Amino acid sequence: MAKWGMVIDLDKCTGCQACATACAMENNTLPGESWQDVLFYHEGQYPSAQMKWLPRPCMQCENPSCVHVCPTRATYKDMDAGGIVFVDWNKCIGCKYCMIACPYGVRFYADEKPLLEPDLRDVFPGSNGQLWSPPYQNSEQDWKRGIGVQPAGVVSKCTFCYHKVGKAPAGTADLDEDIPELKEYVPACVRTCAPKARFFGDLDNPGSQVNRLIGDKHGVRLKDHTGNRPQVYYLGAGADVPAFQPKPRS
Amino acid sequence: MTNENMMKGPAGTGLLLVSAVVLVASFAYAMSNLMSQGHASLNTSSTLPWGQPIATYLYFALASSGLGLIASLPLVFGFKQFYPIVKRCIFLAFIILISGMAVLAMELGHVFRMLWVIPFNMQIQSAMFWMGVFYVADLVFLLWKFRKMDDGEWDSKTSIQVGIGSFLAVLLASGNLALVFGMMSMRPFWFDGLLPIYFYLTAVASGLAALVFFTYLAHGFSQERMSAPLRALLAGSLPKLFAAVLGGTLLFIAVRAITGLYTNNPEIYYVWKDYLFASPAYQASLWLGIVLPFVIMLMASLRKQPPVQIAVSILVFGGLFAERYFFVVGGQIVPLFKGTWEWNLVQYTPSITEWSLTIMGSALLFTLYVLGEKRLNLSAMPPMGAESTSAAASGTQPAAAGS
Repeated sequence: MAKWGMVIDLDKCTGCQACATACAMENNTLPGESWQDVLFYHEGQYPSAQMKWLPRPCMQCENPSCVHVCPTRATYKDMDAGGIVFVDWNKCIGCKYCMIACPYGVRFYADEKPLLEPDLRDVFPGSNGQLWSPPYQNSEQDWKRGIGVQPAGVVSKCTFCYHKVGKAPAGTADLDEDIPELKEYVPACVRTCAPKARFFGDLDNPGSQVNRLIGDKHGVRLKDHTGNRPQVYYLGAGADVPAFQPKPRS
Repeated sequence: MTNENMMKGPAGTGLLLVSAVVLVASFAYAMSNLMSQGHASLNTSSTLPWGQPIATYLYFALASSGLGLIASLPLVFGFKQFYPIVKRCIFLAFIILISGMAVLAMELGHVFRMLWVIPFNMQIQSAMFWMGVFYVADLVFLLWKFRKMDDGEWDSKTSIQVGIGSFLAVLLASGNLALVFGMMSMRPFWFDGLLPIYFYLTAVASGLAALVFFTYLAHGFSQERMSAPLRALLAGSLPKLFAAVLGGTLLFIAVRAITGLYTNNPEIYYVWKDYLFASPAYQASLWLGIVLPFVIMLMASLRKQPPVQIAVSILVFGGLFAERYFFVVGGQIVPLFKGTWEWNLVQYTPSITEWSLTIMGSALLFTLYVLGEKRLNLSAMPPMGAESTSAAASGTQPAAAGS
């Protein structure tokens, strides 16, 4: 079985947020439930201030702290599914300990105050156990893997679009949207990335493009000191998020 | 001296009625909001997932653990002067834990699912799994121990073994509860291997506050209605122990604050500087709820006076509740992994629904307490002369477990 990994080249990323939009459409997430987000921040001061951005999916860690803390095994790392970390919505009790334990802040409890008005849960009230039921839904639903529109009271997260990736032919080294016979298996954020800053493939395959990119362009993992060992690598300058600093008091 | 128990009379009935009405009203309000709005009725969010309900649970669970630890003084370590409060201690530990669990149950996304997914999945890597195991064991031992005392078995072999089992369960439960927070290296404000010691100290402090308050409440806030051994305890060892654990609590807060303010780590430094010490509520709870009670309890002439003890217990109630709240929220207040995208600390104030859950837990505690005082003899103690107990209170009589 492959070990799926993602490579994001920050030298190519334009911060257009097409990935975030594609993810939200593919997975029917609510505003604020940003399985795939782009962080914008700055460093330095005028005249040499920098505007930076960082796309951020779930890191699908090799040693995921969210899995260790979950008291019910609702959050689990499935080595038979490429090492993707899933949430079993039939087991999740909504204790939110995984959200505390995730160093990357990429877990969401959508049953909270709406980010935007009108509240889409009021506009499209939930049915069949769903927290909300938008009129256009991905037909793929797999609550054991946290795929589809979640019920109330559970935690949700990026699944690397397993409902697509999981159907890829066995032995595939890279899921590249430019290969016509593979494009349907490519995660939504990768497929939609206009500047082609994202790559997706098998980290266990030494010949995969993702491994070559990581080797050739010095791929790094974020917050590596936590020991979580993400399966998402970043290339290019500025693969980090500066430390929190409160707004200067004027 | 149970005939002197005010809770058995009309005052108790009145308190029971008020508590029950508040309990039903707060439960109904919280439940209706949770049913109609879900967790949107709480002010927690994905950036700050644990709010006041978790802090309330933590406060109640640790107060219960503190009471369990105090109860072990006579039952495990042979400090017989604590016998007059031990039965009430165990009863309070039980009902406070039940009240805390009730609040936690209302906060969870799927509380009934928890009953089967936790035992059937056995995730032994999770501190929260062990929290469930140890607190259930704690509850069972508390019940068992109470039953033994109710049957008049104070010094039997089984009673001592149950007492030791209960002591170990409470140590494991509260120590592990500390590790639920203390093992989170991604939350530097909490990450601390010594957190269990801090929790033990503050647990005993909040347990003593509850014990002093409810003991006085049972006796109409008058020492004259109390038995001689109980009066001796309240004038002797108990206030000294109260002073000692408040001192230990302050020491821990001081070293955490000093290291927090010294470090460059923004997830600790800004919590202390811009959240805790910048908050008038935190300042008030620290100075009025912990420092002032400590200073008062250091004074030998003051710490024996009933009004002072009652006032101190109420102040410590408030001080340690705030301590729990600011501890829980403080660990999440710095935006996680957002860099300079977020300019400010995460803004959080509890919603009315969250307050109603805290009130519900407190009302449940009072309701169960009055019922217990009415139905059970919580002032019971082993048959021993008041004089010998007074002597023990003054420390002149050596005491050993089971002797």
